[in-house]
Amino acid sequence: MTAIAAGSGGGEGINPVASAIGIVLILITLAITYFAVPAGLAALVGVIVGGLLIGFGIHFVPVGGAPAAMGQAPGIATGVAMLATGAGLAGLFGGAWAAANPEFSFAVVIAAGAVGGGLMMAITCLMVNIIYIFGMGIPAASGKVAKDPITGDTQEAYKSQGTEGHGLPFISYVGGVIGGLLGGAGGTLIYYELLQVYTATLPGMFGADAAEVLPIAVSLAGIFAVGMFLVNAVLAAYNITGTIEGPHDPKFKRFPRAIIGCATASAVCGLFAILIVMGV
Amino acid sequence: MTVQITASEGGIPHNTIMAVGLVGSLVCLYLTYANQFLNAEYAAFFGGLAAVFALLWGTDTIKNLCSYGIGTGVPSAGMIAFGTGVIAMLLATKVETIVPFSAPIAAVVFGAIVGAVAGWIANEVMRMNIPVMVRSLTEMAIIGAIVLMGFTAAMAGGFGFDALAAREIAILGPLTTTSYVGSLLGGCLLAVSFMLGSLALQHPFNACLGPGEQQDRTMMLAAECGFLSMIAVAAISFAFIAFPAALLSLIVAIVGWYYTYVRFIELSKRDAFAWLDAKPILEPKGDD
Repeated sequence: MTAIAAGSGGGEGINPVASAIGIVLILITLAITYFAVPAGLAALVGVIVGGLLIGFGIHFVPVGGAPAAMGQAPGIATGVAMLATGAGLAGLFGGAWAAANPEFSFAVVIAAGAVGGGLMMAITCLMVNIIYIFGMGIPAASGKVAKDPITGDTQEAYKSQGTEGHGLPFISYVGGVIGGLLGGAGGTLIYYELLQVYTATLPGMFGADAAEVLPIAVSLAGIFAVGMFLVNAVLAAYNITGTIEGPHDPKFKRFPRAIIGCATASAVCGLFAILIVMGV
Repeated sequence: MTVQITASEGGIPHNTIMAVGLVGSLVCLYLTYANQFLNAEYAAFFGGLAAVFALLWGTDTIKNLCSYGIGTGVPSAGMIAFGTGVIAMLLATKVETIVPFSAPIAAVVFGAIVGAVAGWIANEVMRMNIPVMVRSLTEMAIIGAIVLMGFTAAMAGGFGFDALAAREIAILGPLTTTSYVGSLLGGCLLAVSFMLGSLALQHPFNACLGPGEQQDRTMMLAAECGFLSMIAVAAISFAFIAFPAALLSLIVAIVGWYYTYVRFIELSKRDAFAWLDAKPILEPKGDD
């Protein structure tokens, strides 16, 4: 029972029937929310948009796994889900801090989350390049394009024989930061929308002051946001199946189906998260 | 990360392990309800055992799924298991407050729904085209929900939403006050059990995969990781349940961990000898 013999890696292009069913599923969850918890409808839309942002953002994150660790492929030497989770949680910390301050508006909260995620990716990419360049003595070069789409630098001359490139070329670095920004914003959006629903409904549910049950609301919104972040990150990773260099990588073109998939998964998970306050 | 993953064939069939894992964990979860009829939460340790049963089942499911080379590494399967599982588990605790004694079954049903949707998206929308994808992710979501519910029961003695969210604190003898901050949810201990459970689920097959992977060794490591997580959970439970009950959990966890750890080392040595085609060095016996 070996992996290669089993043969997978996914087909190309969009599956139109499955995509249509996915969109119908989203509409069904919206309808159920409208009838079960009318106050949660706007929140569910926010959760779906958040999931969609995460799914899209993950395609920007340059990951290489084991080949990158050996210097045979550009990217950060870990799995997509791990790295995206790190960026998402860093974003969530920033966003949760901003959400706790009532003076900050919606836009500030989302921006704080995005900056948290982007910062985490920027630091990770910087440290990866320091290790590659000064530790392993290899220059950053992409194997997927002849010229860097942003700087116009040629890649071919710096690429070692027998490799797909190495390090994090400029475009991958920029892509990673964009991915962190989008992922952090998406995760924070999910957290913020759920927090609004819980802070509004939980006091009535427990018959207690809003301040008393705030820890429950924060904890519930936080753990649901983490759960949905992981679901979206892994589904997007399944779309990439392996390594990706960033926005110039041919695999990046697969993102539309990840957007549909992540939106559908977030809709179902979001429905469950909102149903928890049903009957208030 | 595309890695060739080699998994052993034969051994106990996956369906048998699934049946044992599902029935065993559900029975253990229902046994924790005995807490309501005891003067202390002595049955809390059954929650930890339920998690161990589910982790054994989950390790075999990961092995089944990841033998197809999903290209994202083994840990991602554990991640999605707990991501979907935590959502199903929390909704199930809410159902418990409406229909008593229904939470374990509700966790299985909700887990199956969320997992099947995630599996269907991965297979059809993302076009992974893996025959066992939908079934595996359905199982994984159920496993994630059961492990979290088991750890919750071991920590707090029960898993009703109100019991998790509020905690009675005695002040001046008969006077009590309700604390939301000091509760299991308010302290976000669910995040701790989330990480303890997902580490125990991701690790065993990831550590044992490759040539010479043997089912019994991988499963023994899964049980060992489960008991190791249960030790941490039992330590946390001192804050929530009666001291003797928490001590009982801790003893069960440590005994279980010690036994599985010793067995795992034995099996590792056995497989190392077999793989190296070497002979174990036999210590001379006798009184020379």
